[in-house]
Amino acid sequence: MTGRVEVELQNVSKFYGEDKVVDEVSFQVKQGEIFVLIGPSGCGKTTTLKMINQLVPHTSGSIFVRGKDVTELDTVELRRSIGYVIQYIGLLPHLTIQDNIAFVLQLKKCPKKKQRERAMELIETVGLPLSYLERYPRELSGGQQQRVGVARALAADPEILLMDEPFGAVDPVTREQLQNELLRLQETIRKTIVFVTHDIQEAFKMGDRIGIMRGGKLVTIGTAMDIVKERDDFVRSFIGQGAVFSALDTIPVTRALIRDLPVVKKEALVDPAQPAFKGWDYAFVVDDRGQSLGYISLAEMEGPQKIDPDKVEPLPSSCLPGDSLKKALEEMLWGSRAWLPVVSEEGSFLGIVSFQSCASLLAG
Amino acid sequence: MKSDFLWVKVWNYIVSKSDFWLSALGSHVQLVLWASIIVIVLGVPIGIFISRHKKLRDPVLSVIGVLYTIPILGLFGFLIPLMGIGLKPALIALTIYGLLPVIRNSCVGIENVSPSVKEAALGMGANRTQLLFKVELPLAFPVIFAGIRTAIVMNFSVATYAVFIGAAGMGTIILVGMRTFNDGMLVAGTILLAVTTVLLDRLLGWLEKMVQRKYGMENLK
Repeated sequence: MTGRVEVELQNVSKFYGEDKVVDEVSFQVKQGEIFVLIGPSGCGKTTTLKMINQLVPHTSGSIFVRGKDVTELDTVELRRSIGYVIQYIGLLPHLTIQDNIAFVLQLKKCPKKKQRERAMELIETVGLPLSYLERYPRELSGGQQQRVGVARALAADPEILLMDEPFGAVDPVTREQLQNELLRLQETIRKTIVFVTHDIQEAFKMGDRIGIMRGGKLVTIGTAMDIVKERDDFVRSFIGQGAVFSALDTIPVTRALIRDLPVVKKEALVDPAQPAFKGWDYAFVVDDRGQSLGYISLAEMEGPQKIDPDKVEPLPSSCLPGDSLKKALEEMLWGSRAWLPVVSEEGSFLGIVSFQSCASLLAG
Repeated sequence: MKSDFLWVKVWNYIVSKSDFWLSALGSHVQLVLWASIIVIVLGVPIGIFISRHKKLRDPVLSVIGVLYTIPILGLFGFLIPLMGIGLKPALIALTIYGLLPVIRNSCVGIENVSPSVKEAALGMGANRTQLLFKVELPLAFPVIFAGIRTAIVMNFSVATYAVFIGAAGMGTIILVGMRTFNDGMLVAGTILLAVTTVLLDRLLGWLEKMVQRKYGMENLK
């Protein structure tokens, strides 16, 4: 990420009396990035989030939002410029869905017509029918309420969104659906998001970068892969072993792609003893345009010979370069083989991924 | 005294002396109306204020609670030396009685607004005034209104005592009926008072529903 820094904390601490709830926390969140704060309950992640929009004033250190020190900004204006999705949804029970979505606009005294238009636009964005605008929050399911919560945070088109365990109150199936929808939405809206969760799977799935907190301190920051490779005992026990798969889910197969392997043109003259083939049992066969045709056993060749089309076996199931490593590994396990070809959508052969290439990625 | 004879006397009184009791009822309503206005104008803001200032909350509620327990005749005993007799001390007495339910319900109503809802509103950039008028008051309305309703209905019967302090009202009919051994007048006065109190309570209940419907609050639990 090279975008400008939208949110920055410098050595921020929060005391309640003698208790240090947040201890010298520093991080930067760049434009368009989802930064996840995660940790066990009471680690100070929610407090850290709430200091950004000053719902909780910080005791020491500096917080910058779009380059400006928050203590020098008008708190009300600051909050109106930041979307906020809270843990228990917090829809206003006495207002219709429309008035809930347009609440910030109402606070800003926007004309009614504009409020209505914006509410209509946003309810579609979050995938709810227009007719819901007239309803009241308690007439909606938890998942639907949560969607309204997201729509509400987007009402004033803020650059920055703060999300405090936004999907904590819904069942796992709905949660996954909401996560996917948010990720899809994020591709178009490109907001800067600070996201608090206690669920490591969610963190790996949502976060471009993840910050792990413990006892008020920010223990480590990094991508899902960085976190998985972390040697720190606390981090390791916190993320658990299953987290490796969640981390692999965030990584495209291209990261573990083996390109340096025997590829031969069809009908070419091939010498199985040539040095490039050393250590390989098979060669991959492509046509003149690089389209994949299959693979051929090198061991069965006796000396240099032309590729026999009848001996070319079709490739087993393959994956796309954009697929995740987790998906590729699942495919390998299902097909009980240790490698999987990577073929582009146009059919070009790109290389393979193998258990070994995945493992060395983790080790590296 | 035969009971059917009594009911005839009551009926006769109600029919023939309608001028008299209607004017008594008019004064009664006026007294309660003014007292209620004062109670609401003072009580709701005080309730909100003490809900925000926890140090004042308990002292204020206990002082109001103590005042509430003073018997009305005893309260008159305090008020007459200070301000003589008439409408003014009657108003003060009713105000003192009405304040407790209004202050307590306003305070509790505001306190019971869900913290997550308030946090959401603040997080979206509501200022204190907006938080109060757009979130806290609408959500606390049912509780606050219940306090107001209690105060008004209670004051409607307490106002009967105003006659002892020289203010007109339904108490006049009952007191005169008692003193002149006019049981028809006495019972008629009592029935009229009871009926109007029930009607008033119903009217307030209907009003509460109307307001809630207008602001979509019938959807609250």
